[in-house]
Amino acid sequence: MRYRIEHRTTYSYDDDVTDSLGIAYLVPRELPWQQVGDYRVDITPVPTDTATDADYYGNHLSYFQVVEPHRTLVIVGTGEVEVVAPVVDPARLDRPWDGVLPLEQPQLPGAWLATDLALASPAVPIHPGAKEYAAASLLPGRPVGDAVSDLIHRIHRDFEYDHTATTVTSTVPEILAQRAGVCQDFAHLTLSCLRSHGLAARYVSGYLATEPPEGRDRVVGADASHAWAAVWLGDDEWLAVDPTNEQWQNDRYVTLAWGRDYGDVPPVKGVIFTEARHSNLDVSVDVQPL
Amino acid sequence: MVLKEYVAALTQPMLGGGPTRYDEVVGPDGLLRPSWKRLAAVASGLGASDLRRIDEQIVRFLADDGVTYSRAGRRPTAWRLDPVPMVVDAASWRELEVGLAQRAELLNAVLVDLYGGRTLLRDGIVPAAAVLAHPGFTRIMAYGSRNDPRPLVTTATDIGRDASGAWRVLGDRTQAPSGLGYALENRKVLSRVLPELYREADLHRMAPYLWAFRSALLQSAHGELPDPRVVVLTPGTHSETAYDQAALATSLGFPLVQGSDLVVRDGWVLLKSLGRLERVDVILRRVDASFCDPLELRGDSQLGVAGLAEAVRRERVRVVNGLGAGVLENPALLAYAPAICEHLLGESLRLPTVATWWCGDPDARAHVLANLESLSVRMVDTVPGAVLDVGPEALARRIEAAPHRFVAQERLPLSQSPTWTEPRRSLLGTGSGRAEPRPVTLRAFTVRYGSSYRTLLGGLGNVMRDGRTVASKDVWVLKAETGEPDQGLAEVMPVTSGRSLPATVPRVLEDMFWVGRYAERAEDLLRLVLAAHVLVEDFRSRPRTSGGLSLSVVTGLITRLAGRVSDDYDEDFRSLLLDQDRAGSVAQSLEAMRDALSGVRDQWSSDVWRIFGVVDRAQATLAGNPDSHQVAESAGRMLTGVLSLAGVTANMIRDPGWHMISVGRYLERSQQVGHLLTAVTERHGLDVDREILASVLAAAESSVTHRRRYRDFVRPAGVLDLLLKDPENPRSLAFSVARASEHLAALPASTGSTRPERLLAALGSQVEETKVAGLVAIGGADRPNLVSFLATTGAELDRLAAAVADLHFATGPAPRSFGSLPELEPVP
Repeated sequence: MRYRIEHRTTYSYDDDVTDSLGIAYLVPRELPWQQVGDYRVDITPVPTDTATDADYYGNHLSYFQVVEPHRTLVIVGTGEVEVVAPVVDPARLDRPWDGVLPLEQPQLPGAWLATDLALASPAVPIHPGAKEYAAASLLPGRPVGDAVSDLIHRIHRDFEYDHTATTVTSTVPEILAQRAGVCQDFAHLTLSCLRSHGLAARYVSGYLATEPPEGRDRVVGADASHAWAAVWLGDDEWLAVDPTNEQWQNDRYVTLAWGRDYGDVPPVKGVIFTEARHSNLDVSVDVQPL
Repeated sequence: MVLKEYVAALTQPMLGGGPTRYDEVVGPDGLLRPSWKRLAAVASGLGASDLRRIDEQIVRFLADDGVTYSRAGRRPTAWRLDPVPMVVDAASWRELEVGLAQRAELLNAVLVDLYGGRTLLRDGIVPAAAVLAHPGFTRIMAYGSRNDPRPLVTTATDIGRDASGAWRVLGDRTQAPSGLGYALENRKVLSRVLPELYREADLHRMAPYLWAFRSALLQSAHGELPDPRVVVLTPGTHSETAYDQAALATSLGFPLVQGSDLVVRDGWVLLKSLGRLERVDVILRRVDASFCDPLELRGDSQLGVAGLAEAVRRERVRVVNGLGAGVLENPALLAYAPAICEHLLGESLRLPTVATWWCGDPDARAHVLANLESLSVRMVDTVPGAVLDVGPEALARRIEAAPHRFVAQERLPLSQSPTWTEPRRSLLGTGSGRAEPRPVTLRAFTVRYGSSYRTLLGGLGNVMRDGRTVASKDVWVLKAETGEPDQGLAEVMPVTSGRSLPATVPRVLEDMFWVGRYAERAEDLLRLVLAAHVLVEDFRSRPRTSGGLSLSVVTGLITRLAGRVSDDYDEDFRSLLLDQDRAGSVAQSLEAMRDALSGVRDQWSSDVWRIFGVVDRAQATLAGNPDSHQVAESAGRMLTGVLSLAGVTANMIRDPGWHMISVGRYLERSQQVGHLLTAVTERHGLDVDREILASVLAAAESSVTHRRRYRDFVRPAGVLDLLLKDPENPRSLAFSVARASEHLAALPASTGSTRPERLLAALGSQVEETKVAGLVAIGGADRPNLVSFLATTGAELDRLAAAVADLHFATGPAPRSFGSLPELEPVP
């Protein structure tokens, strides 16, 4: 599938911001199953300083500084992406999940790189509650593909998708207690479940192209940024799964960036200098099939 | 004599067992070690009474220099220095030095590898989990786009001896090594109190090492800059080692700055200075990496500079040590040191580390679990790696649950060194002190000089008790032969120019302003306490109605400033002088003044800390003496201390900072005079009023002037004229306003028409136009014109202080994260 994407983030303030520094992860990664066409990040007011780099995980990052006093800051990522469904070797999926644990089997090829994603991270604790919850799916010797599919099936069944239940800073214990959350929460929960059992798993930030309801036209801007998880299968092979929609990643998923958790790859983060007391955030995402 | 007793006690058969330790002074044969032989003649002449005197001098010198250390979240406490140095002879040091230089080389190579090719992890030399679980691993410094071949400029390594006397590495400090400033101070003090021993020792002076350090920092600037600007970044005066940071900055001749003094523009780091921004090329940081950049690291940090990491990645500023250097403090690395050394340097490790096991390795884990009783266990992923003191069973459970998070280390016996101890005098009367053997460790310092690492010939000795440092020791490294250059560095240039922070940095001006204000506030309250104490003593000896009334009016002035904590006057005065937690007290003002001074330590001569030496001793005497007269005695001494600030400022360069001290002082004095005169607004009868007026004059330090002008005829008009309008009386409102105007005009941001200047000019005219005859006019029981005049001028002064802050101290708002501001209420 081919998509044209526009991801617009607007901050408004009730007083001048005199200095604003930011980092955006808005340019998709180039991947075997994903080709990135002409892609750009535009910022208004025009920054006096911009830079791009590839971070520790190989994600594209855009750095910017705006020193023109402003009450509205707009960051727009736009471009085209061509995606196919990632192909995962079925033989790998049939291997037992407890045979790909980087901490216990550091000699496995690629384990030294995967180790980083098997450890706790700021938003993904190794948590006894998560471990216990996941144990029903991660039965000893079970094929990793089955085990992980079962885990996201249960999360999809047991947890309610609820915008109002959580905030951007909800922790895994809170999500477990409330049995509700949004895609980012379910991704963090999945990661905590997997890592608590010793698996390596990464947080993936991106987009999911949505189908308009039957008989309606597609509404521009109704999409949102999305998040899911990918579990390590050995070497540099990963299985990406979406607990929010109970499915494996397919050709409707556009991958922006990945890391240990949301904190490594937020679409936009930054620091402002201002006397303003209030701000407003407006995000609109449009993933248009071409 | 003390030395002889120490030697004799050691050769006695050991009682009670305990670990056998290597002794730093005495060999197993009962003879002095080579390092001490040269000192024996002078050292054995020192008796217990000499050492007690020397110890007291040390305490006094350290207090006079304001040397403190604080544990996280606690008040600073006095730095402790033992009078007996650790002495190392040239041959032993030479061996150690080679090992330390290799270690610095190795640590640099580890840093390059971990943030670059990561061959250590790829090839399994070090398990990835042992490194990646440590919070010092800074992923934003590990982008493929950058590669710094020399990220490590300076290190500190803690070493201790095993039972055979061989040195072992206990740990490395690479994030922001502390202790060099303390080591410099220790040397300064010890060379003063033990001049003969110091001369006899013929040891390496430390100065050339500082020159090398300074040149290393200058050379770490990117590009070929003729005059790079270097700053020392401090987390502020509440940091545990604030003294150390300031002392090092001053010795190196580089300004001490805080994160809020710096800003990033277009990828360059700039120093905020009034009217302009000056580029910074090198930052010696004492702020932990995670706090250095709220944009990319901890978003809640107010200690860093937003955009710093990006400036570092673009090589527009050099941070020393690099932002990722904390990863080297990981205790798990010690377990793999020999293999790392072979892998990266192709050499065998010269200086062995204390035996360490990383529990993520199954064999190591089995060993640790079998030997938990004899090992000390630390966590890898907390900083600093805290030693765990839970029972072996609980510990074993925790290790098995997440083995990769733990390391275990052998408990080294450490060497022992004679340490001066005194029995508590209250318990044992005049019982004499003696030198007791106490375990010691040594912090060694290295710096990259040219193409190799140089080790300081010296260091910071630590006297340990129950795993904690209880005192420090100076470390004397003896010269191999007379005439050997200090630090083996003959060719380095001395530190020539000490560019301190221009006193136009807003934070510096603000601290200077508050030094002036708090000094004046403390001084004025001390005078008021002294005046009130006279009334109390007088009333106690001749109880009468008038005395009780005037006393209540004068103490009422104190109550308005600092409340009242006791009905007993003396108790209340004591609390005013001693209680730092009491709002408005003398003790609190002095503490606030000390705090403000600490923020700008590099602007001041070290003489300024003597003020607090005097104050602290006066307070200690007061605390130990319940007599009423001691209140006046100590208050008087504290006043002497505070007044000596003027002697220090008299010798300061006349820069904006100096003018700002005076702006603060005269503004505060104006406020305080107004406050004193509220005692004159009510009438209580002739006798009482006369006593009150006399106290007001005394508290305003104007009794003598008044007597010369008006003889003994004390009446309100005369007092008001003297304290409000007299342009010649330095304590008057008119005088203070005029001086504040002059100093304000000398500041760079002043134009003649700024708001503070306008406010001050208006206040000046108001004082001039007001007639004393009108102020003393009576309406009912009080003087309504005086009441309203004092209220108006008080409010004007408050406005003025706010205007000065707005114009001169404003550094702009603090950084905040996107989205951290509350959302606007949705429009209904």
